[in-house]
Amino acid sequence: MRWILLLSILVVALFAGCAQQAEKPKATPAETPAETPAQTPAEKPKPEVVTVVIGAPLSLSGKYAKEGQMSLWGVKAAEKWINEIYGGIKVGNKVYKIEVKYYDDESKKENIPSLVERLITSDKANFLLAPYSSGLTLAGAPIADKYGVIYMSHGGASDRIFEQGYQYVVQTLSPASKYQTAFLDMVKELDPDAKKVAMIYEDNEFAKAVFAGAREHAEKLGLEVVFDKTYPKNPTDLTPILSEMAAKEPDVVIGGGHFADGQLLAQQMAELKINVKAISILVAPALPSFYEALGTKAEGIAAPAQWEIGAAYSPDAAKELGIDWFGPTQDEFLKLFKQFAGSDKQPSYHAAEAAAAILAYAKAIEKAESIDSDAVRNAMNDLDFMTFFGRWKIDPETGKQIGHDMVVIQWQGGEKKIIWPPSAATSKPYYPIPTWEEKDQGKLAVPE
Amino acid sequence: MGFWEQLASNLVFGILLGSVYGLATMGLSLIFGVLRIVNVGHGAFLMIGAYAAFWLFTLFGLSPIASIFMALAVGLALGFITFYSVIKRLIGAPELSTLLATFGIGLFIEELAKLVWGPDYRGYSWDTPYISLGISAISFSKIYALLASIVIAFLLFMWFKKTKLGMAVRAVVEDKEGAMVCGIDVTRIYALSFALGIALTVASGVLITLFVPVGINPYMGGEYTLKAFVIAVLGGLTSPWGAFYAGFIFGLLENGSYTLLGLIPDVEPFSLTRFIAFTTLLIILLIKPTGLLGGEEM
Repeated sequence: MRWILLLSILVVALFAGCAQQAEKPKATPAETPAETPAQTPAEKPKPEVVTVVIGAPLSLSGKYAKEGQMSLWGVKAAEKWINEIYGGIKVGNKVYKIEVKYYDDESKKENIPSLVERLITSDKANFLLAPYSSGLTLAGAPIADKYGVIYMSHGGASDRIFEQGYQYVVQTLSPASKYQTAFLDMVKELDPDAKKVAMIYEDNEFAKAVFAGAREHAEKLGLEVVFDKTYPKNPTDLTPILSEMAAKEPDVVIGGGHFADGQLLAQQMAELKINVKAISILVAPALPSFYEALGTKAEGIAAPAQWEIGAAYSPDAAKELGIDWFGPTQDEFLKLFKQFAGSDKQPSYHAAEAAAAILAYAKAIEKAESIDSDAVRNAMNDLDFMTFFGRWKIDPETGKQIGHDMVVIQWQGGEKKIIWPPSAATSKPYYPIPTWEEKDQGKLAVPE
Repeated sequence: MGFWEQLASNLVFGILLGSVYGLATMGLSLIFGVLRIVNVGHGAFLMIGAYAAFWLFTLFGLSPIASIFMALAVGLALGFITFYSVIKRLIGAPELSTLLATFGIGLFIEELAKLVWGPDYRGYSWDTPYISLGISAISFSKIYALLASIVIAFLLFMWFKKTKLGMAVRAVVEDKEGAMVCGIDVTRIYALSFALGIALTVASGVLITLFVPVGINPYMGGEYTLKAFVIAVLGGLTSPWGAFYAGFIFGLLENGSYTLLGLIPDVEPFSLTRFIAFTTLLIILLIKPTGLLGGEEM
């Protein structure tokens, strides 16, 4: 009996698999125009609707599942805005509609090359979104470049990606070397006496690029880097490296890598009672789960962020700079995001940067009046516009993002506030931050 | 802080960390020792323990110490369920089947955890007093973790030596046929051992949160699985006691070598600590291929 049951399940599964296989080519008509007569008014000449396929390896499981899920929701929101609210990208007699095709890359580097190849060759992707993180982005870049398909990084910040001579790799987010520079600028401005900077960070592509940039910037500002050491991936215990750092008596600490180690860094600095005037940790403090996990210990801890709800990017701000505005406003984006993520979810910057990458494609197609890879890539060189995520302008040579600015956030009284640069700030910086002992007694980092 | 103070403090933290490693590996060794099954899904069970501590603390304010007992109970139940649904069919099957099956169970649990709890990195703040060591400090929660793991290991040891069931387990390990002839229900002993192994692993997940109460997420187990394998091999693979001692050695090596490596100019000491830990493992295995307590089965 059991065998019959098993066999029948197997047969059904096999059929389902085959059916999906058979459907696949039909589901992605990359270049073939799809008929949508109902949408076109009778008096106008019927525009030809062309689907533009943007392929994306997304980390929906594995260690970047959190960021990957956010990216997907952001991508969906941007896709919906372009196709439904904006009405598609109108070029001559054609209307380009975006279709994002994605696969779960399981957060694994080794999956990226084959997924990128599959998206280009069998899914006929016109353009690509790079996966999350610098390491994964680097893994797919040579493949995309070989096929001459534009590969837009929205979560790969490392500067090294753009130093390999790739022609088709472009960036939407600020490069890693800029991550901690705004924080150092802030310290310099608030406290001329703060001299000693300690850097403690994860040994990975992204963090190394961040702290190479930070070291250079610190030295330019006349600060002294008294400690500069890395810890390996997934550390269980940072006590040894932290006690060594404490011995150098730094004024400010900058560090981190991703989520778990960022939380660990803050937690163990608290346990070891290492008090400094300011702390800026990469990635981890930018998410609400940081405060949930650490409670009042998180008070005063700062983080660089690509974007934050409340960041002051608007059509008016764009006009002031004399550049175009494109895409939904922040409020419109939040509304769209919630349609996909659920009304209780707030977008992190991972969602915003992924959405901005899709919007940049739309803007570039509009400018190029074509979906040809080379034409769009050339058009990108001249683009300078603003979305709700901030400014978008690339270095024509390398494709590196040079228009976008980072903001610094700080946890103040259980809320995440933008404290730097002053033009985007939603609150004043709290400096110096309360000691761990003061925080234990319930002191919050709320400025008067 | 001078060199010696730093070394001493790192060794103390090494012992504390090692106790958690030790208990986290005992379950793996126990299951391999009795059933000859390598539980590749080890880390997933550990993750369940960490979440148990987190949820019980956040929702009910339950102290993580009390959560250890809850975790043992949950682990036993989970162990029996896994045994009777999957593992029972794999007794005596080729290694590849058991590897694939336990790997699959691990993936299943991780993805289920992600589905139910989401991919957020969680943590809780259990405020305990701390002992000041000059520039650094040890929080009591770490000392509780050390004590708890010693107590659990000791109780398990006594259970094996003194109780009838414990002796039955040892009998099955020594001579399966002989045990059967004596009227021992071998399958039941297998089930019990597997469940105990899982219970230990889940409980060690709670202890890990006593050591590090943050960064709890569905995929946190992977790192510990890797270390647990190394520690298990170091301890002789079949011996839970060997695993327990080996955990201490691994913790000491990992944290203690940091200070020594820091003396070498222009190296990243932290990245080398793991290298040192794994190299020492190789050397020990070269000298004693059966592991520290190898051959000395339960």
